Amino acid sequence: MKLAVVVQRYGADINGGAEQHARYIAERMATHAQVEVVTTCARDYVTWKNELPAGADTVNGVAVRRFPVARERDPRDFGRRSHEVFETTHSLADELAWLESEGPTSPALIDYVSSAGAGFDFILFFSFRYYHSWHGVRRAGGRAILVPTAERDPAVALSIFGPVFRGVRGIMYNSHEERAMIQAATRNHSVPGVVVGVGSDVPARTEPMRFRRRHKINRPFAIYIGRIDANKGCAELFDYFQRYAMTFPRGLDLVLVGTAVMPVPSHHRIRHLGFLPDEDKFDALAAADLLIMPSYFESLSMVALEAWALGRPVLANGRCDVLKGQCIRSNAGLYYESYEEFAETLYALESNGPLHARLGRNGRDYFARHYAWPVIERKYLDMLERLQSQPAAAIEPLPGWMARRKRELPPAARVLEAIPSGAVVAEREAMRQERPA
Amino acid sequence: MADFSVRNDNVDVEQIMRQVRSRIREKRGVDYTEDEIRELASVKLERFLDPKGVRSDLLDQYRKRREASTAPRNYAFEDSTLYESSRPLLRALRKLLNPILKLFFNPTPMVEALHIQSRLNESYNQAEALYYELIHNLVIETTRLGIEVKNLKMRVESMSSRLDFDERRARALEGVVQYRPGAVAPLPPPASGEREHREQRDQRDQRDRGRDREGDRDRQDRQPDRERQPANLGAVDPERRNRRRRRRGRRRPGGPGFGDRPGEASSSEGAGSDSGGPATQAGGGPAASGGDAPEARAAEAPAAAPSGEAGSSSAES
Repeated sequence: MKLAVVVQRYGADINGGAEQHARYIAERMATHAQVEVVTTCARDYVTWKNELPAGADTVNGVAVRRFPVARERDPRDFGRRSHEVFETTHSLADELAWLESEGPTSPALIDYVSSAGAGFDFILFFSFRYYHSWHGVRRAGGRAILVPTAERDPAVALSIFGPVFRGVRGIMYNSHEERAMIQAATRNHSVPGVVVGVGSDVPARTEPMRFRRRHKINRPFAIYIGRIDANKGCAELFDYFQRYAMTFPRGLDLVLVGTAVMPVPSHHRIRHLGFLPDEDKFDALAAADLLIMPSYFESLSMVALEAWALGRPVLANGRCDVLKGQCIRSNAGLYYESYEEFAETLYALESNGPLHARLGRNGRDYFARHYAWPVIERKYLDMLERLQSQPAAAIEPLPGWMARRKRELPPAARVLEAIPSGAVVAEREAMRQERPA
Repeated sequence: MADFSVRNDNVDVEQIMRQVRSRIREKRGVDYTEDEIRELASVKLERFLDPKGVRSDLLDQYRKRREASTAPRNYAFEDSTLYESSRPLLRALRKLLNPILKLFFNPTPMVEALHIQSRLNESYNQAEALYYELIHNLVIETTRLGIEVKNLKMRVESMSSRLDFDERRARALEGVVQYRPGAVAPLPPPASGEREHREQRDQRDQRDRGRDREGDRDRQDRQPDRERQPANLGAVDPERRNRRRRRRGRRRPGGPGFGDRPGEASSSEGAGSDSGGPATQAGGGPAASGGDAPEARAAEAPAAAPSGEAGSSSAES
């Protein structure tokens, strides 16, 4: 079997969620099939500046083919167009212009998918919202499989993506909430799809004491791993944690791992360690009492899965449907929607040993049952096998020139509001029944 | 703070979250749902707030005013708006003749200005809605606070009346209690030295009562007591003396079983960090030191009093 993985950026040192997801899947599927990664020369997801050389390359044993980005993103133009399509009544042409503005605009990559696509059995497109996926799916014919990595943001409610979600051969969802949202937004129930997610290379042995010695951390702590950004809920986390620290002067410390794009408050119980290599990151997770995930929007939190793999409970933002759903389904984490809940749940996790231990154990079980690599690989292989025996659906054509310019599409933010939200709890019962005795 | 008992192997996160929320509700006291608060804000506001100061139907009024307003909220103005027409031919002709128009004047600044104005209108519309929303929310919060203040006032009144009652009761009981020599349970038969000591103590008690009345003679009387004490103590039987010493030692700072002073215990880093985290740690703070204060005062008393007298008599009684 020959597979192509098309993703906006690719590299061993590129740590975006979808990009890392794509790399893990490419590397794992390479043991079952011939895999080629098709990507751009960009490293920066804001500007899409060409920083890596175009042409063939190999990353961790997987063949990679890079294509240059034709033009960098203009943040002002993108901001203006985003406002137009998300907040005002607009046309299909406006949405297409928004897609062009978002990038990474790489016609060469799309031409390659179009010309060489026939040589692949399936082409996996990662991240539905970018230029490469929208154009690539339309050119790949019936070979396109989409890994949407969709969050609950207005982009999913744009009209241009409806035909893409309805026209792909199959969809590999990250979570039940993502599937529910996409199906509600695009009515693509007939498209074969499976909730898969992604595994993680969690080491068999971790050394928490090494981490504590290296960073001179002696006290118990909660950890946050990821970009330190207000969009990730970090501002709220800092506010809540500082209030909590005032209430409990000797409670847990907060350790932050990741690049900061917002100021980290100067507080004697908040430690920012910056970006850490994987080995250190896993040691840190193992040393931590729990992981805090303050993000409002997640398609799938890999770091939460890693925490569960290491037997650490998670305290998640309950306003993120995916995280809340995972906490409920796994019975391995608590969630908060206000400061009072944050304080109560954090206190419960740090003070109640039996509760902490059982949530941690549930997390370990949940990871092993749903996100261990053999499980993920099997789900992918089963899906590919299933799709081989099913006919490909044709993608809907774009409306005519005039129809594309009719300003009658509602603001995407308003469309998104109408889409039901909330954790998909009904799935839990089904999963319990699936669980082996 | 929440303390969840995990009795079996299965934990139910939803159940725990329900407990967390009910606990928060208990803490808050009367908890209203958002709908109830809205209802209170819109209907019963006058009962709690000054109706002249805050209007309960702000949002409705705003909505009505917006609906009644015939003025357009905004207009769309792009660079192509000037040349648009329902007839494509006319639109094309205008675009074609655009260079000629530009010979007479430059329309670009005008287009830009109108475009900016359109954006400003839009942001104004949004901000206006936000301000009204904000005022509305403030009204709701004020209502909630008003209700809470009312509840708290009632609780304070009830507690102060209870306190008055307790004080009156305590005073009444104090008036009733009288010292009766025969009321105290008889001690085991004392040794001869003990009897002697008791007689001397009775004398001392009488003298102390006199000392209260005649403060100047107090200093003169105290000196012989001090001198007498070792002899008296030596006369007590060893078992009772040991017991008394143990009691004194317990009360004295640094004595057996007393440990550090409360302030010192709470300031020692890591004390209680292993035993339950914040509960014990928070306990080492002001609440704990407040709780230990009477003991600390008791511990200081013997040291301040004339050696052994006050301490021993209080310990015996």
